[in-house]
Amino acid sequence: MSSAVAKPEPIEWFAQFGVDAMVTRRVLAEAARNGADDADVYFEHSTSTTVSLQDRKVNRAHLSVDLGVGIRVVVGDQVGYAYTEDLSIESMLEAARVASQIAKGGGGHAPVNTTRVKVRDFYPTNSPWSDMELKARIPMVRRWEERAFQHDKRIDKVQTSLSDVDKHVLVVTLDGHMAADYRPMTRAFVSVAAIDGKLRESGSYNVASRRGIDFYDDAVQDRLVDQACLRAIQALHAGMPPAGEMPVVMAAGSSGILLHEAIGHGMEADFNRKGISIYADKLNKSIAPKDVTIVDDATLPGARGSLNVDDEACETERTVLVDKGVLRTYLHDKISARHYGVKSTGSGRRESFRHPVLPRMRTTYMEPGPHAPEDIIKSVKYGLYCDTFQNGQVQIGAGDFAFYVRSGFLIEDGKLTRPVKDVNLIGNGPQVLESIEMVGNDLVIDEGGWTCGKDGQSVPVGQGMPTVKVAKLSVGGGAK
Amino acid sequence: MNSPAELLEIAKYVERRARELGADEVAAGVSRSVQTTLVRRDGKIEQASEATSRGLVFSVLVDGKYSSHSTSDLRPAAIESFLKQGVDATRFLEEDRDHALADGKLCGRGATEEALDQYDPAYAKRTADERARDVEALEVEVRRLEPPGVLSVATHVGDGVTDVARAMSNGFADTARDAWFVAGAEITLKDGERRPEASAFYASRYLSDLPSTAAVAEDAVARAKERIGSGPVESGTYTLVLANRAASRLLGMLAAPLSGAALHQNRSCLQGKLGEKIGSDVFTLIDDPFAPRGLGSRAWDGDGLVAKAFPVVKDGVLENYYIGTYYSRKLNVAVTTGGRSNWVVPPGKVPWETVVKGTPRAIYVDGFLGGNSNPVTGDFSFGIRGLLYENGVPTRSLSEMNVSGNVLEVFHKLVACGTDVWPFSGVQSPTLVFDGIQFSGT
Repeated sequence: MSSAVAKPEPIEWFAQFGVDAMVTRRVLAEAARNGADDADVYFEHSTSTTVSLQDRKVNRAHLSVDLGVGIRVVVGDQVGYAYTEDLSIESMLEAARVASQIAKGGGGHAPVNTTRVKVRDFYPTNSPWSDMELKARIPMVRRWEERAFQHDKRIDKVQTSLSDVDKHVLVVTLDGHMAADYRPMTRAFVSVAAIDGKLRESGSYNVASRRGIDFYDDAVQDRLVDQACLRAIQALHAGMPPAGEMPVVMAAGSSGILLHEAIGHGMEADFNRKGISIYADKLNKSIAPKDVTIVDDATLPGARGSLNVDDEACETERTVLVDKGVLRTYLHDKISARHYGVKSTGSGRRESFRHPVLPRMRTTYMEPGPHAPEDIIKSVKYGLYCDTFQNGQVQIGAGDFAFYVRSGFLIEDGKLTRPVKDVNLIGNGPQVLESIEMVGNDLVIDEGGWTCGKDGQSVPVGQGMPTVKVAKLSVGGGAK
Repeated sequence: MNSPAELLEIAKYVERRARELGADEVAAGVSRSVQTTLVRRDGKIEQASEATSRGLVFSVLVDGKYSSHSTSDLRPAAIESFLKQGVDATRFLEEDRDHALADGKLCGRGATEEALDQYDPAYAKRTADERARDVEALEVEVRRLEPPGVLSVATHVGDGVTDVARAMSNGFADTARDAWFVAGAEITLKDGERRPEASAFYASRYLSDLPSTAAVAEDAVARAKERIGSGPVESGTYTLVLANRAASRLLGMLAAPLSGAALHQNRSCLQGKLGEKIGSDVFTLIDDPFAPRGLGSRAWDGDGLVAKAFPVVKDGVLENYYIGTYYSRKLNVAVTTGGRSNWVVPPGKVPWETVVKGTPRAIYVDGFLGGNSNPVTGDFSFGIRGLLYENGVPTRSLSEMNVSGNVLEVFHKLVACGTDVWPFSGVQSPTLVFDGIQFSGT
C-alpha cells in the first residue's frame, strides 16, 4: 500500500458546520442534566457517489450527502437516544434534552476536559474519494462491461457500478474522550445475465474495501468481471441438490458466513448480558474442536470491516472469540464491558448518527487448520460443497441459523460432481461448531461487500474461512 | 420547516432552481418524519429514542442525461451547492432519454386524503406518559400469562408521522401525510440448552386499529410456547399451511420477476407469461393502493402517476407486470406502476383449519429463517419455523427445516385460501394452503 498523505483532522472537518469544543461541551452538559453513567455525541458527515452502467450506457449516477449528530445518554444499561440533522446549537440542545429523559432525578453531571484518543490507521489512502471527479469513474465501469462481453458469447446483459463513500466521524464522550476518524469505503459490482438456448441465469460479483482508488489494480478489476461471468455460466447447468441432512464442505473465503451466523451474533455481548443468547453461560467452556480458533478483527489493513476506532471512542483490536475450541470473550461495547467488568473490545458500532451503538462484528474469520483442502473433499462419500453465498440469518437464543448457498457442487466418492445452486442450509450453531470435523490450511478473507443487519441497523463487515468440513447440515433441496 | 405546505415550497424551489442551473427536467421531493420508540425489558425502560428527520431527493435530466441525488444537509447554501454539483455531474454521463418524466397529464391523485385515511389525529395527542404506560402494561400482561421458563421479556411501542412533498417540472406537485403505530413483545424461554425466542408485532395507521394489550400479549406467549421442544421431522413432501402473517415471504418472491427492470434485463422467470396461468384457480393477487388505512396505500406512485388498482394475478392468470415510466419506454409497453402498493389476496370461504382437518400430515409455517429465491429461474429455498399438524391437530414444534420449490410451480399447488386476512402489513393475505411441497429436515 502506498504511503498516506495528510488528511483533514475530523475535528477541523466539523468546524465547517460550527462544531467546536465549546459546542460539544454544552451539548454533553445538557444531555447529562438529569444524571448519566455515560453520554456521547457522535457527529457524522458522509458524501457518496455511485456511477452505473446498463444497456451499454453509463446512464445513471447518484450523489448523496448525509450530515447529522446522534446524542446518547446511558444510565446503567438503559439508553436514551435522539438525533438531528440540523447542527444548530438549538437543535442539538433539544436533542440532548430528549435523550436525557432516560435519566430522572439523578442530578447533573458536568463533562470533564477531553483527551484526544490516539488511533492507528488501518486504511491509509492517497486521496479522499470526494476529490475524484465523477468523470474519472466512467472508464472503469465501461472497462468492466467490455471485459464481460468478451468473456463468453453467452453473456447477454451486463450491469456494472462503482460506489464510494467518504465518511468523517467525531465522537466526544462525557468522560472526556474524543476520537475522530476518516472512513473511506468503496464497492464495485458486476452483474451479468447469460443465455444458452432456453437456459437463462445470472451471476454477480463484488469487491469492497476501505481504500482509495489504488485498491482497483488490474487483478482486482479482472477478477471482479471474470467471477461474475463464471458464476452465471456455471449456474446455467446447475440444479438443486437432493433435500436432507448430509456432510457439508465449506470452501475457503465467503464460507465465513457460517461463523457470522452460527457464532458471531451469539457472541455479541448485548445478547449475553440480557441472557438471551445460547452462548450466555458458555464463557471459558469448550464449544468446538481444538482445531477451531475464531477471530473478530478490526485491524486488517483496508478491510471492509476494519475500524481505526469504534463509534464510542474505544480503541479497536483483534479479538480472539474462540481459542482452540474454548470460548474466551464476547464482543463488547461500553455498556456490556461495564456489565462484565472487562475492557471494551472496540466493537461498539452504529449504522449512522441516526442509530444508537450496539456490539457488532468487524471481520470474522477462522484461523487455518492442519488439513489440505483436497483431502477434506476426498474424505466425503456423499455430501455438498458450497462456494458462494448470498445471505444468512440466526435465532440468537435457539441458536438455529441459516445461510443461502448460491452455488456449489455435489460431492460423490470424494470428488466434486454435479453443480448445484440456490439452496438454503440450516443448522444449530453450537451443534454445528461441535461437529466441525476438518479445518483446512487455506484461510481466505473474502473480498466482497458484506453487510450485517441487527436491530434495524446495517453495518459493513468482512468474513473469512479456510476450507471446513461440517459433519451434517440440513440441505433444503429438491426431491431425491 | 414543519408544515406540508412549507415542504412543498422547498420542493418547488428545488425544482425551479435546478432548471435555472441547466436541468431540462426535474423531480424533487422533500420529507420530514418524526418517530418515537420505547423498549422495555424485564421491568425497566431499555431504550427510549426520538428523532425528527428530514431529507431532500431530486433527479434531473440534463441534455438527455439522468442522475438522482439525496441530502440531509438542508442549509440553503448547502442546497444551492449540491444542486449545482448534481446538475454539473450529470453532463458527464451518457444520454438516455427514456429517463424523461411521465406526461404531466397522467400525474395526480387517484384518491382523496379522506378516502385513503392515512393520518390518525390521535397521533398528535399521543404523550410520552401514554407510551410509557402502554409499554409497561404490555410487559405486565405478558408476565401475567406466565410463559414457562421465561428468561426475558421485551415489549415495544412506537409511533411516527411522515410528511412528503413532491414537485416535478411536468407540473405535478402534491403532498402526503401518514402516521403509524406499532406494538409488540419478544419473549425468550429456557428450553434445556436452548433459549428459543418468539415475538408478536403489529403495525397500523390508526392507534385504535392495533390489537388490545391483552391480545398482543396472548399472541406473543402462544408463539413462545410453540417454540418449546422444537426440532426437525423427516424430509419429504407435505401439505404447507402458510400462516397469514408469514405469507408475504412467499408472495414476495414474485416482486422481482414482475418488475420491468428484471423483464428488460432478461432476469425474470415470468418473462413471456402475461396471460398465462402461473397459479391455480384460487390464486388471485391484487395491487390495491386505495385500501383505507392500508400500510401501502397512496394517491400517486413514485413517478407521480395517478394511483390505480389492478389485478396482478387473477384466478391463476398473470394479468399485469410492474412497469414504471422508464421501463415502459424501454420495453415499449403500457405503464402500470413502477412499485407495488398494498398486495391483497382475497379470502376464501372456508377456514384453513377446516381445509386441513383430514390431512394426515401438514406443516404450518408461521415464520422463516434465512433463504432466498432466484428471480431468473424461480427456484427458492427458505428455512422455516412452525408446527406439524396431523389430521388437523398440532403435534410438534418444528425448526431446523427448509422448504424449497419453484415460483412457477408453487402457486399451482395453492389449493385453498383461508378466511383470516392479516391486516397489519402491506401484504394482506389469509392463511394459504398448498399441496405437495418439498421440505427438508432429517
